[in-house]
Amino acid sequence: MNFFKVIRWMVWKDLVSEIRNRENISSMFFFAFAVILIFSFSFSMDARSSRELMPGIIWVAFGFTGIIGLGKSFLPEVQNDCMEYLQMAPVSKGAIYLGKFAGNVLFLLAVEIILFPLFILFFNLDVLDKLPMVLLIFLLATIGLSALGTLFSALTVQIRAREVMFPILLLPLAVPVFIGAVESTRGALNGDPLALYGHWLELLAIFDMIFMIVAFWLFEFILDE
Amino acid sequence: MSIKAAGITKSFHHFQVLKNVSLEIKEGACYALFGPNGAGKTTFLRILATLTRPSAGAFEISGHDGIREKMRVRENLFLISHGSYLYDDLTVIENIRFGIEIRGRNLSDSEIKSALDRVEIGAFGRLKARFLSAGMKKRLAIAKAILIRPKVLLLDEGYSSLDERGIAILNHCIREFNNEGTTVFMTTHDRARTAEVAHHAGVLTGGTLKEISVRDLSGSHELF
Repeated sequence: MNFFKVIRWMVWKDLVSEIRNRENISSMFFFAFAVILIFSFSFSMDARSSRELMPGIIWVAFGFTGIIGLGKSFLPEVQNDCMEYLQMAPVSKGAIYLGKFAGNVLFLLAVEIILFPLFILFFNLDVLDKLPMVLLIFLLATIGLSALGTLFSALTVQIRAREVMFPILLLPLAVPVFIGAVESTRGALNGDPLALYGHWLELLAIFDMIFMIVAFWLFEFILDE
Repeated sequence: MSIKAAGITKSFHHFQVLKNVSLEIKEGACYALFGPNGAGKTTFLRILATLTRPSAGAFEISGHDGIREKMRVRENLFLISHGSYLYDDLTVIENIRFGIEIRGRNLSDSEIKSALDRVEIGAFGRLKARFLSAGMKKRLAIAKAILIRPKVLLLDEGYSSLDERGIAILNHCIREFNNEGTTVFMTTHDRARTAEVAHHAGVLTGGTLKEISVRDLSGSHELF
């Protein structure tokens, strides 16, 4: 079915381009690394305060890293008027959105997976047994952030004040994702029973669904009008 | 009719670029649109390409309404524009494969090679698009058109950036497209080269279209 073929080609194109130029991944990685480094030197934390502060530090690093990466995700489409080609292509614009979205999720997850061991190292986290749950939280929060970020990146990519407008649009709507991510990460790192923080995971999953459906629907208008 | 436009009007704020432009082009014909800079040629072409919505009027491409049946129209047309529609970090072959397979067509390596050879850039298939000259990018766009075989081919100043050989290749392709039933609509400033392929011509000035004879293209008098 051409719908899935479009998604596959969009993901392939973004991955191949990124592997070759490494522009996005490297800027995201170095920003997040700087955040980790600064926080690790700013606080001397015991185990208890580490558990309290870590979720916030993690999501400050990942959240703002995401803003850097997502904000640039549509730049390659503008460079040679490729956005126009996608607009004229006789394909579902929703499939184009899902392709860009999937590529963004993969980039952000890759950066998060590379950086998380640095958190463990710099902040002496004991998380090995909690890793599957932590990774699930990363996945859910990254999906929500990417669903919104992909949409607003497309919306702002052609305006002059893109770098100002993108976070202004994204951050207020991403607040439920950040809250859900921080609270569920805290629960997971503390080793709390799932029943105590499971509702935050549900919140993340619900917002993921809402953001994806709305963005999928809106993208047709953004690309075509 | 392959292209049928009726009463196309387009305004940007209070400035009316196109005033009630009507046009009919038969299947397999080549229509060349001339006009001074800023006359609205590209705007008209972008309307036909479904990239810009007209302020008033209607148009059909291959029998499909250009405003209500955009998807059907887009299945039938291909635009060669000023933008190369290329991704700098993909190679020539990868760009072709992406650009065409995303439209739902499967391509074999030999088809791509044959199209690149036709436009004489076969040796550059593995070169990244960022290293191509403007003329090579235009040839690549022609190769895409060869592979897509659209019912309607739109060219926005198709001869620009092309060298003598490139222009000859493009004209050869236009004749071949026309023979196969593809309608070609182009905006251009090159009278001599256009005269070799155009069946019909028009001049757009002050937002209005005036049909002219293709014989006028060979003369030296001013068109507008």
